[in-house]
Amino acid sequence: MGIAIRLLERFKLVTIHRRILKKPLPEKVSYGYCLGGMAFTFFLILAATGMMLTLYYVPSETEAFNSVLKITEDVPLGWLVRSMHKWAASLFIIFILLHTARVFAAKAYRAPREFNWMIGVMILVLSMGSGFTGYLLPWDQKAYWASEVGTSMAGTVPFVGEYLLQFVRGGRDVGAQTLIRFYSAHAFFIPVSIAVLLWMHFHIVRRQGISGRL
Amino acid sequence: MSELLKSHEMKRREFLKRTINVFIATSALIFSALFFRFVAPMFRRSSTEYFYLMPEEELPKRGVKKVEFPLQLDGRKKTGWIFISVVDSKVLALSPVCTHLGCIVTWDNNASEFVCPCHAGRYNCAGEVLSGPPPGPLARLPLKIDSGNVLIGWKV
Repeated sequence: MGIAIRLLERFKLVTIHRRILKKPLPEKVSYGYCLGGMAFTFFLILAATGMMLTLYYVPSETEAFNSVLKITEDVPLGWLVRSMHKWAASLFIIFILLHTARVFAAKAYRAPREFNWMIGVMILVLSMGSGFTGYLLPWDQKAYWASEVGTSMAGTVPFVGEYLLQFVRGGRDVGAQTLIRFYSAHAFFIPVSIAVLLWMHFHIVRRQGISGRL
Repeated sequence: MSELLKSHEMKRREFLKRTINVFIATSALIFSALFFRFVAPMFRRSSTEYFYLMPEEELPKRGVKKVEFPLQLDGRKKTGWIFISVVDSKVLALSPVCTHLGCIVTWDNNASEFVCPCHAGRYNCAGEVLSGPPPGPLARLPLKIDSGNVLIGWKV
């Protein structure tokens, strides 16, 4: 008996897989129901290429731009990995939005699925936060001014705006501290949070089943 | 549903399953190839940088000359040196580093040979081993004479 089959049998993985992968679907589901899965695929691509990029990226004021240049020009296939990360980032958000539109159109946000809708919204907000923080990392003029403008919006919040602004920037201005903050959020805090929320998202879908077409 | 139709359905399902498996396996293979290419250690393409050593007229006609040059090591200015050896009117730039364990050899003018003080390795004026433990001849540095200047090559 092959080792793979024996492993599957010992740990009863076949039954688990059957429960997860062989769930009967309601009738008349369309390709529109694949949009969330597409977004998840892009999340996996982002995680894989992102982890690879951390091997060469240096989140320091003096080295960040040079390390991005090195990734694009010197590292073998670095240009490809960086492009994949960039394109997958855009497509990730696009597919989340399409998925949201599909769920909205199918009225699948209504009870009893309202909590899963809320989790989905959290994932959308976090993914946009990931896009925003990732935008600063190349540390060029475009990145710098985009973050300057973007973070200054936090300053317009009544009463706590000033504090919020400095909290986000890690200081009075966008600088080395902001870069490290954004890097940490982009490469650690946000992806881990999204992963946990996705896990909840999928489990709730499994528990409740997907909403059929009306 | 007739038996025939059922078995046909199962074949279709089997085919789709296999197609998906092949697709996933191929993607995983391509991606791991990409990963290992990406994280593979980078070796700098070695190129030879030439720097100025001395004017051409100071080259010895024959014999061995110790030539000093300024050197910057860890931000501190030091003096390095190499041996310029002229053998049969051919100019050689010899590294003074013994090939045995890396001690610095000296030129013994009376015996006309390089002697390593550590384990008595001996080399002739062309840097070839005469006796002792060194496994190979003294390293020859690339040397170039360009419009009256002697240039020494350095692998970077």
